[in-house]
Amino acid sequence: MDAINQVVNSILSLANTYPVVAKYVTTGLRWIFVLLAVWILLMCIISLLSTRATPEVWGYLYAEGGTGIPITHWENIVGRSSSVDLRIKDKTISKSQALLIRRSETQWMIKDLGSTNGTTVNGHKLIPGRRYLIEPGDKILFGGVKATLASISLEETRNNEELRMMDKEPLAPWSALLGITAFQILTVIQLILGMGTDITVKALGSILLLGVVMWVYVLTGKAMGRKGFEIELIAFFMSTISLAITASSEPERTFTQLVSVVIGLIMFFGICLFLRDLKRTERIRPILAVVSVILLAFNLVFGQIKYGAANWVYIGSFGFQPSELVKIVFILVGAATLEELFQKKNLLMFALFSFYCLGCLAVMGDFGTALIFFVAFLIISFLRSGDLSRMILTVVGAGLMGLMILRFKPYIADRFAIWGHVWDDPANAGYQQVRTMCYSAGGGLLGLGAGNGSLKTVGAANTDLVFGMVTEEWGLIISVLLILCIITLCVFAVNSIMAGRSTFYTIGACGAATIFLFQTMLNVFGAVDLFPLTGVTFPFVSAGGTSMMASWAILAFFKAADMRKDASIAIKKSKVKVSIPDSKEESEEFEEFEE
Amino acid sequence: MRKVERRATICLLLAAVLFLGIALFVWRFVTQGKTWASFYGNQQIYTDGNLNRGTIYDRHGTKLLSCDKDGAHYSDDYELRRATVHVVGDTSGNVATGAINMWSGDLIGYDLLNGTYDTSSNGKEIKLTIDAEANRTAYEHLSGKTGTVGVYNYKTGEILCMVSTPTFDPAEKQSDSDNSGEDSKYFNNFLQGAMTPGSTFKLVTAAAAIDSLSDLDSFSFTCDGTNKYGSDKITCTSAHGTVNFKQALAVSCNGAFGKLARQVGATNLATTTKKVGLTESVDVDGIKTRAGSFTFPDDNAVNLSWAGIGQYEDQVNPCAMMVYVGSIANGGEAIQPKLMKSSSFLSSSSSGKSLGNYLDQSTADELKSMMKNNVKVTYGESNFYGLDIYAKSGTAETGKGEDAWFVGFIDNDDYPLAFVVWVKNGGTGYATAGPIANDVLNKIISDNDASE
Repeated sequence: MDAINQVVNSILSLANTYPVVAKYVTTGLRWIFVLLAVWILLMCIISLLSTRATPEVWGYLYAEGGTGIPITHWENIVGRSSSVDLRIKDKTISKSQALLIRRSETQWMIKDLGSTNGTTVNGHKLIPGRRYLIEPGDKILFGGVKATLASISLEETRNNEELRMMDKEPLAPWSALLGITAFQILTVIQLILGMGTDITVKALGSILLLGVVMWVYVLTGKAMGRKGFEIELIAFFMSTISLAITASSEPERTFTQLVSVVIGLIMFFGICLFLRDLKRTERIRPILAVVSVILLAFNLVFGQIKYGAANWVYIGSFGFQPSELVKIVFILVGAATLEELFQKKNLLMFALFSFYCLGCLAVMGDFGTALIFFVAFLIISFLRSGDLSRMILTVVGAGLMGLMILRFKPYIADRFAIWGHVWDDPANAGYQQVRTMCYSAGGGLLGLGAGNGSLKTVGAANTDLVFGMVTEEWGLIISVLLILCIITLCVFAVNSIMAGRSTFYTIGACGAATIFLFQTMLNVFGAVDLFPLTGVTFPFVSAGGTSMMASWAILAFFKAADMRKDASIAIKKSKVKVSIPDSKEESEEFEEFEE
Repeated sequence: MRKVERRATICLLLAAVLFLGIALFVWRFVTQGKTWASFYGNQQIYTDGNLNRGTIYDRHGTKLLSCDKDGAHYSDDYELRRATVHVVGDTSGNVATGAINMWSGDLIGYDLLNGTYDTSSNGKEIKLTIDAEANRTAYEHLSGKTGTVGVYNYKTGEILCMVSTPTFDPAEKQSDSDNSGEDSKYFNNFLQGAMTPGSTFKLVTAAAAIDSLSDLDSFSFTCDGTNKYGSDKITCTSAHGTVNFKQALAVSCNGAFGKLARQVGATNLATTTKKVGLTESVDVDGIKTRAGSFTFPDDNAVNLSWAGIGQYEDQVNPCAMMVYVGSIANGGEAIQPKLMKSSSFLSSSSSGKSLGNYLDQSTADELKSMMKNNVKVTYGESNFYGLDIYAKSGTAETGKGEDAWFVGFIDNDDYPLAFVVWVKNGGTGYATAGPIANDVLNKIISDNDASE
């Protein structure tokens, strides 16, 4: 601390003695920041978007008179239609005939989906909707087509591994790490120049500590044999901007923001490890759902009003937003395995849970977050059911409800009334948006330099209007890059389905992407008058502890969808050696074949 | 899995919405950023509601206004302040078309790359095209009256003189903020005014006649001073006797031009008036001038006659009139006027932005020779010693008095200047307005000799 203090003081006295030099430094730094950001983020973005993971092959389905169909997912539908995973074109087979789900190296689960002509294994007819364990080599009869399931040989496994080795390697993290570290150190210098004595050593130290945390995390990951870090590096970069924005607007809160990043990172790490085991994850899901229900109920009773919504809970002096944490569980509850997609009960539970969350948020008056939950619900239920007409119906229904809200909540109606013409009333209704646009424009493409902004004098500048604050202090190029990062995460999540093992992970990743995307949309569009101002946070960037933690935690769902070889900590390392994972004590129910 | 894969496209749709929204924002940022940044609530550039950076100079580098953290500082010269206030503008924004209001985005040194980050620390310097000393000369003539003087280079479009009276001293705090009325001191008659053109409009009727009447050479009219038409009179100041087309313009015979207007017809008159830009607003570096308005009735020959003489309901904007006479000098091609001197070399080429051909070359040439004839026959070349001047005067009957007009140009390769002078209740046009034009033009020529 003392050392930093000395450095800060000497920079300050230099800046005071030679103001012209300080000015030149800022002028130059603005360019360096933009170039560094473009370099770091484009490197990560391009690496993520150019990913084409070769799917792992888990076995083959040999159908009579055909070649073996490689099984590339853990969860597969066998059937005649073009949208199934294992397609056998035969009239005796139903469009969706049966589920075929990998349980371990030697064990698969099969379930008839109520097919017209039924499914038979080793001469035994399956009861539709019941689960049966089968092994490679068993003789299966789908309708009138004989088929066998074959596990892959050791040699094939090796070949497959080699194929995956030839995939584009994830980006080596070192240059981006160094880039972000340089960015952080320069940010500290610029903040001293921009803020003078208003900045605290603790705030500056927090930014440097973030760099240390980042290195520790990446080195840990490396030690665990992982290769892909683009997703986390993007998040670390965005967190750096967040800390700089906080340091500029509320220096005393910078350290809290750093602590939130650390807690968020720990949550992220924990969820990643937990998500490795699908069954374990499924087991904990109901518990988390119940905890969420209680948390929201607690919020309803003890919630405190802040910025018009009673979505804050204080325990002592520590305040947090339960709704941010429930977001994580919401994705978890929404995600479902392929088998669950065929169970009505599962969807009903999700719908009930969503309804409860939305109800609580509406009572709290947090309509921005409610909107995010609602859109996430829509997208997730569409991913699960594929029912577009029901989705449209839900939107129409919600639209009518929305009109009711407008009628009973005049302050929301006011926000809609000013939407599109904020410049007509820059003193009142359009105050925040006009200032966001005015100061953003003042920042130009390169920004005024960290600490030099004026938007921070406006209320909620570092949360609801954070896009404007980033544009003013860091420039339009960096603020648009941040949005491109969010879009990249979404595209990456969608891309990863190709090689996805279970729909659980892909729905989870898409749900997480939806929340990030929609939240960014509401935040940015609201601030610049492309949409009424709703007051939600920009993932990773907005100041605010719970929001930062939730952003990091949700990031785990993207990590769990990263199927590149040995890339992600959320996936067990692939082993060439054939080992039989623990198939011990299955508590699940399986039907026995009747003799 | 494949089913979910297909459905996941919906996430990409959501991403596309975000992308398009940002694209729209970036587009607005690029096109409207300057306006956004110069918003009065921007504390980066406004201190207590006053711009805190930027300097405005005239074409010769005379400082007219400089802004810093302590406020706005005008020229030390009282007369110069009053003579240029309608160009420069006031800090309260009462002069709507003042440079400080119109071009605050340039004054703060905004550019897309840097925003309002001032690399120079003093904001930008704007150089105006006006000659402050010529403004002073015009102001001295107009002082105490209501009027306007405008002079511009009809080849480059640069406005060298723009004065409007009544005026005020921007360095003093103004107690009244009423800027609604046309007699208000905040009102810029040159850009915002629309007044009865009187006989200067005969230049338009003449152009219409040249274009539409084939037997114009044999045109003749005998003026008895009263010129009864039916039961109405189209009076002249005196009996002009028998005049041909050229003489009719030189003596400004109302009777003759009434007859011409009737022969040309309402439709042709309206077409020509529109073609020479008098019914449109002129864009002066983003300032939109007031558009003129005219009514040419085709069912009332007397009113049509008066409309062709520049009376009836005719309302013309002085700036538009100046551009029109400039086009006569420029072989029919009108050049868009401007107030900001281009700082980059690429755009400071010798010719200005064309507004198209208001007139055919031959029509322009014929009008030009007739305007020379006006000077020779009526205004007296000796009154404009040293200037190769072409002009038309006007004495507009407003019902409340007679407004003096004098419009025209000088033919000089070094000083291709067109001018408009209007003095409210000034009486006979060339007697009142002529000398003002003469002095201002001579001032501009001597000033530019001295410096360039």
